[in-house]
Amino acid sequence: MRKVFNIIIVFIVVCVLALSVSCTPGSCFEETNAYLKASFYQSSTGRAVPPDSLTLSGIGKDSAVYKKAARVQPAMIPLNPSAPGCRFLIRINGVDDTISFFYSTFVHLISRECGYTCFHDLDSLVFTRHMIDTVQIKLRTITTFNEPNIFIYY
Amino acid sequence: MQDSVDIPLKIRTGIDVTGPAIWFADKKVLNAEAYISADLNEKFALFIGAGYSDYSYSQYNYDYLSKGSFLKAGIDFNLLKPEVAAGKYWAGIGIRYGLSSFLSETPSFTHENYWGVTSLSIGSSRILGHYVEISPGFRAELFKNFSIGWSVNLRKLISPGLKKDLRPLWLPGYGPGEPVSAGAAYYISWNIPFKKIRVGLKKEEQEEYYDEEEYGESSTGTRLR
Repeated sequence: MRKVFNIIIVFIVVCVLALSVSCTPGSCFEETNAYLKASFYQSSTGRAVPPDSLTLSGIGKDSAVYKKAARVQPAMIPLNPSAPGCRFLIRINGVDDTISFFYSTFVHLISRECGYTCFHDLDSLVFTRHMIDTVQIKLRTITTFNEPNIFIYY
Repeated sequence: MQDSVDIPLKIRTGIDVTGPAIWFADKKVLNAEAYISADLNEKFALFIGAGYSDYSYSQYNYDYLSKGSFLKAGIDFNLLKPEVAAGKYWAGIGIRYGLSSFLSETPSFTHENYWGVTSLSIGSSRILGHYVEISPGFRAELFKNFSIGWSVNLRKLISPGLKKDLRPLWLPGYGPGEPVSAGAAYYISWNIPFKKIRVGLKKEEQEEYYDEEEYGESSTGTRLR
């Protein structure tokens, strides 16, 4: 009978430990937004040079993603998961351009604690050439990982 | 000295009581599991377990549901000596392969960024995941043909049944959809003896000493064994 009692005690300890671990509410420490990462390059030298001033705002939006921000490298551009494309006004060193992104969106589970987010596959982009010289797509899948998706030469 | 022992081979059928116990404390997780095992000999037993799981989870930006059944099969290995086990005690390790068939659904989740709040959902889909399990544990016959026992279950996911982007958060019989998971089970089981076998006991190796006279003295002067 003593053996049985010991078994029960050990079991209860194991259960309490297991439950205390499994019932501890987790916190999310990961990045939950997938941004299109744009690195800036000087077209004359081919070197990575962030603009002295960058303003970026979604067309149709009142607020700006960046407002006269200095030395932004890379720019983190949020895409609209509810639409197949979105358009931005981008002002590099005081000169305006527009850049449009076309993409598909898919759902990604980050973790139990952080839940789901939206990733994108970049199909194409269109831009004006006032300050921008060219835009190169480097990585079409837009995730929470810190890898540049496009290079903007200006 | 006794050189053999009679061991009753048994068929065991039992239930895990931790699942219902947890459900009484937390109505969001229901696990029900039963098993049947049959002794092959004094060391090995075949194990087949099956169960049902109903799981729901809510986090600040999403809800998740998983509901389905699982089946696992494998071998239990008794580490106790036959004369200690005597058909009543089991302390050993179980190795199992598990299949989990379930419906996974995310009825709602919201995603917020610069463009505003997006509400989405992922419809219910049938998923088949599989895993392996190692279960060290202990079992003792409390009354005639009635046993209780516990095991710690360590599991490794082979496949969650879905691609990585939408892997399930919960697999019946496995638990959280992480690469490894752990759990504990407390079994109550009923035993049906079906056969007796006679198992020879291993004799303790006795140290043998030989007379130096018989073998002669070794050159180093040490005793030969």
